[in-house]
Amino acid sequence: MSRRVRNRWNGAVLMVVVGALAAGCGAPGGDAPQTEAGGTPVSTTPTCGTAPVTLKAYIETGFPLPKELSTEFTKQHPNVKWSIREDQFAVITQNAPRVLADDPPDLMRLPQVSELVKDGLLKNLDGYAKAFGWDSWPASQLQQMRLGPGGKTRGEGSLYAMGLNFSMTGVFYNKKLAAKIGMSSPPTTLAELDAALAKAKDAGIAPIAQFNGGATGGLAFPLQDLMASYGPAAPINDWIFQKPGATIDTPSNLKATQHLDQWIKAGYFWKDVNAVDYATMMSRFIGGQGLFMFNGDWESGNLDKQMPGDVGFFLMPPAEKGGKLAAMSAPLTYGIGSRAKNADCAAFFLNWVATDPQARDIAVKVGGSHPMGPADAHMPDVAEGTVTASTLQAGADVSKDNGAMDFIANATGAIYAKSWTPQLQKLVAGQQTPDGLLTSVQSDYKSQVGGS
Amino acid sequence: MKKRSPAPAAGLRTPSWVGWLFVAPALAVYAVFVLRPIVLTFQYSLYRWDGIGPSTWAGLDNYVKVFTDPDLFDSILNAVKLIVFFSAIPVLLGLAIASTIRRIATSRLALVARTVLFLPQVIPLVAAGIAWSWLLSSNGLVNQVFSHLGLGGVTRAWLGDFSTALPAVGVIGAWVLLGLCTILLLAGLSKIDPAVYEAARMDGAGPLREFFSITVPSLRQEIGVCVTVTVIAALASFDIVFIATQGGPGNSTMVPGLEIYYLAFSERQVGMASALAVVLMVLVLACALPVQWLTKDRSS
Amino acid sequence: MIVGRREAWTGRLLLVLLMAITVMPFVSLFVTALHPSGSYPPGLEWPRDPHWGNFAEAFRAAHMGELLKSSTLIVLGVVPVSLLLGTLAGFAIGHLRMAGRNLAFLTFVLGLTLPFEGIITPLYYQVRDMGLLNTRWAIILPLIGLFMPFAVFWMRAHFVNMPEELSESARIDGANVWQLFWRVHVPLAMPALSSLGILLFLWTWNQFLLAIVLVDDPMKRTMSGALGAFQGQWGTDIPLLSAGSLLILAPTLVIFMIFQRRFVTALLQGSLKG
Repeated sequence: MSRRVRNRWNGAVLMVVVGALAAGCGAPGGDAPQTEAGGTPVSTTPTCGTAPVTLKAYIETGFPLPKELSTEFTKQHPNVKWSIREDQFAVITQNAPRVLADDPPDLMRLPQVSELVKDGLLKNLDGYAKAFGWDSWPASQLQQMRLGPGGKTRGEGSLYAMGLNFSMTGVFYNKKLAAKIGMSSPPTTLAELDAALAKAKDAGIAPIAQFNGGATGGLAFPLQDLMASYGPAAPINDWIFQKPGATIDTPSNLKATQHLDQWIKAGYFWKDVNAVDYATMMSRFIGGQGLFMFNGDWESGNLDKQMPGDVGFFLMPPAEKGGKLAAMSAPLTYGIGSRAKNADCAAFFLNWVATDPQARDIAVKVGGSHPMGPADAHMPDVAEGTVTASTLQAGADVSKDNGAMDFIANATGAIYAKSWTPQLQKLVAGQQTPDGLLTSVQSDYKSQVGGS
Repeated sequence: MKKRSPAPAAGLRTPSWVGWLFVAPALAVYAVFVLRPIVLTFQYSLYRWDGIGPSTWAGLDNYVKVFTDPDLFDSILNAVKLIVFFSAIPVLLGLAIASTIRRIATSRLALVARTVLFLPQVIPLVAAGIAWSWLLSSNGLVNQVFSHLGLGGVTRAWLGDFSTALPAVGVIGAWVLLGLCTILLLAGLSKIDPAVYEAARMDGAGPLREFFSITVPSLRQEIGVCVTVTVIAALASFDIVFIATQGGPGNSTMVPGLEIYYLAFSERQVGMASALAVVLMVLVLACALPVQWLTKDRSS
Repeated sequence: MIVGRREAWTGRLLLVLLMAITVMPFVSLFVTALHPSGSYPPGLEWPRDPHWGNFAEAFRAAHMGELLKSSTLIVLGVVPVSLLLGTLAGFAIGHLRMAGRNLAFLTFVLGLTLPFEGIITPLYYQVRDMGLLNTRWAIILPLIGLFMPFAVFWMRAHFVNMPEELSESARIDGANVWQLFWRVHVPLAMPALSSLGILLFLWTWNQFLLAIVLVDDPMKRTMSGALGAFQGQWGTDIPLLSAGSLLILAPTLVIFMIFQRRFVTALLQGSLKG
């Protein structure tokens, strides 16, 4: 074989390879999905019709509420079947953008929504809100799910998600263990809470049941409660809603973080808290391995069943006696993909959840939280003395004090996984200072809000 | 090896285009699903892109960030540290074990062992991750053993502790790779003529000298293979970390593979993910080639 | 010889210890799987009342039947095609030795050490643009491509050592290139092919990254990817997770036990050549 021919063949293989690779021209991406300007106008009230429909849902695993609701819905509307995919919340957070962009479900449990709205991945629900009359519900229910144009500021603007119910966080306590340290009623100031924690520690009782392992920094719960204890709720909400100039690195938040650090140093958390996931925390708390637990009312129903009569609930007490009460309070958000096939039916389902008496019963009894919907809608009877009753009451107290906050983990899509979780884990391990924690969270926040 | 005739008969009579016809299908799939993505990774790495909207030119910014952002650079360092566990331990321990059991290499027990030691190679790494997460958890077997030994003080959640999480991930890797290395080295040992050892004994060589002057040199190729396979496994680790720690606590077990996954698919910094991917590919090549070169020359 | 005997016993002891460490995680999974679902059993402790039902429960929860079908379909899509394409190319490069073979070979070898994470990002967008996202093809097609370097490398190594005389005599009998390949060389390549087949089967079955990135529905994934989803969903229930993990790794174990000789040889050769 002559040299010339060989070269020709070498050239040929190069041609083939290069030809196959000739993709490297032009920048990647470009055709963003169309962002709807003002939501699809909906003329008649949407329904699921009568023809067979399969709603594709992507829900959070470990919480029975959505499944119970879907079962009941199918019972009332037999033409609707469900295709449900379940994941843990952290997994959903990771998957949300690409699932919504490339394989949009009809109904999906949503993480932080700003960036999803900015990329036009979520359906604007204004049209449905008008058709179903959601606008006449108490405005605070929907506030957190409203976004300004381009997903910039949260708290006002068009509606992009709906809640299955309206949950709230505070402190659960084990009444049997409380009796052992002589705590007969919930603490009313932060100092009283501190005293109870110290007493529990001295009595050999684990003071706080909390999770902080893997990708889930659960110490964000007590931290934000402490923030609410030391300062007003509004600046924290501004930060979460990405209002221009908002910062988390404030003097009162620093005090809160230092307080959390004292709790850590005093050994109020489990030694292995950095390896405890949510489910482990629940199982240990139910097993009596912790006096207090910073958590939300979505567990009320479960706790009433697992340890009936033994669990109490109180809102995080303020630093000063008689101070304002505040709590993280957020709808259990579900949204509709902007390119969902059965958007009308999904919207009809969301409306049904908030208005159907049976659905509202399920929302309270299974979900443990206040249902969405009109102020005068049907409320199920809840037995006195249950945790569910006290959490529902606490909800009323918080709204009286205007103390509802969204969760600091919801400020941006990546802030929880990239900042709060690793930083709180470092704080536990003594590798971060309270000051350093707030500074680095704020700087991550800035680059995420401004940069992308 | 058989000496080849200078002009290959089959090749002589078959026109080259026929040969290329045979190669074409494989090359086509390879080009579309491997070569093209490699080129695209390079291209993406020069842009800022969220994977959905339009992209903007970034030049080498992403690379600068990979080497200056502590979170990103730490992931590379962690992968390098994992080499100690994925590579050094299995190879060294494997060598020690193989030379100790050399004499009983053909016994029944050794044959059973061959099967058993291969189990970690056969099961999905995900399963290994799940099983070990449980062993290493607060109330897992490892802590139980320590408590029984009266070492209750060292018990901890091994994967949730900043100082032990990375070594704990390393232990899982070592478990997966130790069996493979041991058996590979044992297979290599069985090719050495026992007479060589006999002769060394006659000369009064102790086990240590025997090890360094006969065993190690004769196993050069096998050691090279073990090192290459395990170093790549360390640098490109993903499955085990994904299951056992998700990179936590903090970022103490973050590795490039997992960081690429997070950057590309949850933080949507596709450009940055691609820059890290390029660095990873280059790093793997830079580690694999010298080892191959150092150990292969004898056979050719 | 006394020294020899002592050495042999140390060796045996060491071997048994090594086997114990290897098997320990499986034993721990098994014992844990027998505890009441939802509990957190401490360490290695035989339950007072073994819950054998957990396995049935996990079988149902993990949809094992569907998973087996899905993984089998993926393996059937990947392995035969990879074997065919790899053999064709390996035959040409190793035996036909056409001009430019070195460049072709080098191109393939380039991909031998490629970490899959390196190309997973563009692969995702490419598969999406092909409209294959969330189908089994999203795993099958890229895997065939990714296996090509090793398959070609492996088969070339086999064909390089086939004697020329073989082809020579076939040619004299009037066989064309295709007949030479299909009638003479492929049958002779069976041992190499079956070893390669075993390796590719294993690597496909256990593929995790491609499965979790390119396919969201666990029912359309490989076993390994499905196990990841199972952990995501049931990771909160340790005994059930343990039972499910054991069930999911059972098929490979069974196949391994049946073909263990071939497996071990294949894996040994595989890593030596790779």
